[in-house]
Amino acid sequence: MINLFKMDLHRFLTNKMMYILLMIYSAFQIFGIFMGKKYEQPVEGETLMSAMNESQFIQTILSQTPSWVMMYITVFSVYFYMSEYNSGFYKNYISMNNARIHSVLSKILTLGLFTLFMLIVMIISDLIGRAIFFHNTTIGDLGFFVKLIIGQFLLHWAFSIVILCLTMMIKSMIASIVIGIVLVLNVFGMVAGALESLIGNSNFSSYLLVNTIIRIKDFNDMNETIHVASVAIIFMVLFSLLAIRYKLKEDLR
Amino acid sequence: MSDAIIEVNQLTKKFKSKEALRKVDLKINKGEIFGLIGQNGAGKSTLLKLIGGLMFPSSGEIHLFDHAMNANHPYFERMGLLIENAGLFPQYSAYKNLDFVAISYGMKDRKKHINELLKLVGLESSNRTKVNNFSMGMKQRLGIAVALLGSPDVLILDEPINGLDPQGISEVRKLILDLNKSGMTIIISSHILEELSKVATKYAILHHGEIVEISSKEELMLKCEERIEVEVDNAGLAVPILENDLHIMNYKVMDDQMIFVYDSRKESHQINTVLVERGISVHSITKHKQSLEQYFLNRTGSEGDIND
Repeated sequence: MINLFKMDLHRFLTNKMMYILLMIYSAFQIFGIFMGKKYEQPVEGETLMSAMNESQFIQTILSQTPSWVMMYITVFSVYFYMSEYNSGFYKNYISMNNARIHSVLSKILTLGLFTLFMLIVMIISDLIGRAIFFHNTTIGDLGFFVKLIIGQFLLHWAFSIVILCLTMMIKSMIASIVIGIVLVLNVFGMVAGALESLIGNSNFSSYLLVNTIIRIKDFNDMNETIHVASVAIIFMVLFSLLAIRYKLKEDLR
Repeated sequence: MSDAIIEVNQLTKKFKSKEALRKVDLKINKGEIFGLIGQNGAGKSTLLKLIGGLMFPSSGEIHLFDHAMNANHPYFERMGLLIENAGLFPQYSAYKNLDFVAISYGMKDRKKHINELLKLVGLESSNRTKVNNFSMGMKQRLGIAVALLGSPDVLILDEPINGLDPQGISEVRKLILDLNKSGMTIIISSHILEELSKVATKYAILHHGEIVEISSKEELMLKCEERIEVEVDNAGLAVPILENDLHIMNYKVMDDQMIFVYDSRKESHQINTVLVERGISVHSITKHKQSLEQYFLNRTGSEGDIND
């Protein structure tokens, strides 16, 4: 397991695609802040973007669909798995003992690392953009900020595992990215929300992963924090198990 | 403990409704070079993937090193695989590709191992070149190096000479023979029979997912060699005549009545005339000549397809 993770990590760190994605994301994030400054309009009852602290800013950015962070995670997750699958590189190690299980776990850890890098780049880009265009680098309540970042990290990591699992089953780069985009657009969340409003009292849609990611949350409320952690962990465990089970039964052609 | 390090019993593989392999039985002994012959789509790659642990059988059993295999068994580790195309990242160099595999094996002293293997397959000068820029032959040789990285007991090579130029074919052949001399068991599939005949010590002909025949090299050569088969009433009396009157020294007495003559300078009518003149009753005299390819086509009933 450790060796396969080392191999994936080596590939991850020597992969130009990862750095390109992070750089493009960072550039667009800073550009987005510039546009936010240029077209900023006060809305009654809402804090101006320029006056937001980092926690509020991140919540606002992530609540806008399609979420670019999820979009980049989708592209990377599909690319990282499919580049190995299409090249047939897995044939070189898959006959090792328990390699099927370990290779899935290793991919999951690597995607966790990419998710972490995305969030770090997001925070740095936000701080740079906000410093340049808003002259405001306040972070706000540090405890809230840490809980927000940990919560979003777990949710986004869970999302990358969902994408990995779907990619393994679909085995097509384009089809996987299209399905990823559909998820990022929160089509399922919107449909579930609409159905709920017709039915009545159900609150099922608030437990959907993408809905949870894009909803503005109060991490000072313990129930909210537990809700976020539960959704993230349930999706992570469920889709990790599905991915492992699928890999254990997969005929590698 | 039997000599067979790979034993396959009643192995069947189905893909949805299509049966790719049907009740295949075979044994591969330690130190053999086992040649798997079959047309495209005969099921060669499927059989090798099953033996290599990439696929799971629909029914039947695989025994490796005297142990029944089930999913993710550690004995699959002792196989080095080059199945279909070499599994390589095109954007990385030959060295880097080998390095990734070496890391996954947890190998110590990776650099030394990798450089030795690159030298073995003749790619030491291209070790920093991206695989993207490699020819087909170079990729195949790198694929063999990757398969050898874990020091396997069994090397599985699926169509390893595909896309190679004559020099490349000769180099791969030499490599296979050298590896076999060091005690490695090799399974090699190909549809180029003449080439396979230069390395394999045992053959299996696979046709439409079924094993049609398994022969040793000697048996196959016997079936394909050029000879005159002379059937007489008394082989013991005929032999001195062949030696003294016809000066034939290259022959084999098969039984009391059958003699195989391998002297290509002699014609069957000459032999017949001399034997009859000396009072030997000749029951039949036939010239036997069959290429490996003809033999394969006869066994698979595909002669018509080729003539088309």
